[in-house]
Amino acid sequence: MTEPSLWDYREVVGPNIIEELTILASHVGNRSIKMINSTAVGGGVAEMLHRMVPLLNEMGISTEWQVIQGADEFYEITKEFHNALQGKEMRFEKAALDTYLAYNEKNHALMDFDQDLVVVHDPQPAALIHWEKKRKNRWVWRCHIDLSHPNPQLWGFLKPYIEKYDAAIFSSALFSPELSVPQYRFYPAIDPLDEKNKELDETYVTRIFEKYGIPRDKPIVTQISRYDPWKDPVGVVRAFKMARKYVDCNLLLVGDKAADDPEAEKVLAEVKAEAGDAPDIHILMFSPSIASEINAFQRGSDVILQKSIKEGFALTVSEALWKRRAVIGGAVGGIPAQIIHGHTGILVHSVEGASLAIRSLLNQPGFARRLGSTGHQRVKDEFLITKNLKRYLLLLLALDKPRDETIFLYQ
Amino acid sequence: MKEKALTKVFQFSSSASLEKLTGQRALNLRGLLDLIKTCSDSAIFYHTFSAFLKLREAQVPYNSDFAVWVSRSLNEKALAEKLMAIDLSEYNAIKNLRSRLIEVIQSYAEENSPVFQKHANEPFYLHDVMRVVYLTDKFAYDLLSFRDLLSTVSIYSIYYHFIESRLNTQLQTDDFSAWIEKSLGLPELAKIIRKIDLSVYTLEGLRARMIQLIDEYRENSNPERRQSRERADD
Repeated sequence: MTEPSLWDYREVVGPNIIEELTILASHVGNRSIKMINSTAVGGGVAEMLHRMVPLLNEMGISTEWQVIQGADEFYEITKEFHNALQGKEMRFEKAALDTYLAYNEKNHALMDFDQDLVVVHDPQPAALIHWEKKRKNRWVWRCHIDLSHPNPQLWGFLKPYIEKYDAAIFSSALFSPELSVPQYRFYPAIDPLDEKNKELDETYVTRIFEKYGIPRDKPIVTQISRYDPWKDPVGVVRAFKMARKYVDCNLLLVGDKAADDPEAEKVLAEVKAEAGDAPDIHILMFSPSIASEINAFQRGSDVILQKSIKEGFALTVSEALWKRRAVIGGAVGGIPAQIIHGHTGILVHSVEGASLAIRSLLNQPGFARRLGSTGHQRVKDEFLITKNLKRYLLLLLALDKPRDETIFLYQ
Repeated sequence: MKEKALTKVFQFSSSASLEKLTGQRALNLRGLLDLIKTCSDSAIFYHTFSAFLKLREAQVPYNSDFAVWVSRSLNEKALAEKLMAIDLSEYNAIKNLRSRLIEVIQSYAEENSPVFQKHANEPFYLHDVMRVVYLTDKFAYDLLSFRDLLSTVSIYSIYYHFIESRLNTQLQTDDFSAWIEKSLGLPELAKIIRKIDLSVYTLEGLRARMIQLIDEYRENSNPERRQSRERADD
């Protein structure tokens, strides 16, 4: 399939948004960006870069993407970095920190950094900047993870490297630490034209539900999320069972599973035990799922849950809102940025709250439709890839004049 | 910014914002007051004027992030109402707006002393913003072309001319009514547009209201149309 061009987004976001992007791009002029991360496939960052890089190029910003190299020992350490930065209590030996730095130094020697802007994603390559002593270009660190409660030892080690950058980018104010360099907020974004989000024929949606034997004779309540304790799938089953006493509905749980993920098997077993042999609870596990089928499950559902009890940003919420679904979300991480309670969805704090919200939405289809419609608008305003294109253009302008509160482009 | 001479042609501008984070937060009213006293002008701008760019349906009746937080996280409804009563359209300089915000909070706290100790449910996260203002390729030459463009320009353009630009022009008015009055010589229509109550509209609502007012004005100022309508009414 040909990748969508900027022009194709006109239909989705409206011609004004694309026209204004073009005007901003003309002021930015011929610039170059290098994106650096640690993986070419898998994960939200790689998924986003696959779409952002061609679109930035189409706007005249010459953008390339390079992946750092490392052996298993490096990735084992950076996986622990990831957990520790998200709050896990642990201690790093000096040898582990030295190994991390050695791989960054090696990668620095293998790469060039001639672009106007270098965007380094996440902690794995964050120390590259240390060996770029006489740089004249701009460097920005883009942090995609939750830094609200970082492990103090590790943050103490990484912070001096981060403060060498010209700026840092975080996904939410919740994740932002105090730093000596400017910080910008880039919400994560979904691509409305990819397989997971594009419009679908109702016949395809029907076919997918039939394929997996999910009846549509009653309203469908769905959670699409990994079988992970923090996504609380057991809580979803409990909330459904409480709500089912009052409203007739089906529950659909859809989850992905990595090839070697014993924890997912354990959680899945707990979910099945909680569900018992209830005929109206349907549990699916994929490895991996097909994006267009996930799209169909979302579009064919009446209510979508993301009942997390700990979260990063949870873009699954934006995916569901984009499809005008009524969404119930746990009030954690990035979910409250997407769900404004009572306006773009319902925020809940407990199994009981989720159960009441299911009853409320299934009994008031007009209210559910209004939430879905306002939610769609919220995603259109803030959480689409086109908005992030605009943020990159503005970032290039902002880095030229970091002290200016307002930049007038009247020439 | 240099003040531009008002000419007959109206070229629509637009603005774009890049949100900044500060890592600073307030956990109670004293903390909020300290942030308001010390933050940058652009941070005050972000939490007041820029609130119009956020999902307004979810903010109404509050017209600033400060009022929303004081109401929803601190549960001080009376203070939220007092903050809401600050009419942003009366301010063309952040300095004065900041002083007014400080004054309202301090005087409320003097009358309700325990309020400073009260903990909020959620922190107030101080944001900041960098704005970029640019010209679009849309020009209005007269009232009719202006009215037609009003229905097609982006909401960012409406926002810029009706709300944000007064901070640049230092005028006590929006750009639209200034142009309608000075370049089109229609002071009555300008007065009607200037009286639009910002606090009750979303940006789309503001667009629809302006179009409606212009249509009504054109209808009423055209004797033939008025007569034919009166005949139809009879």
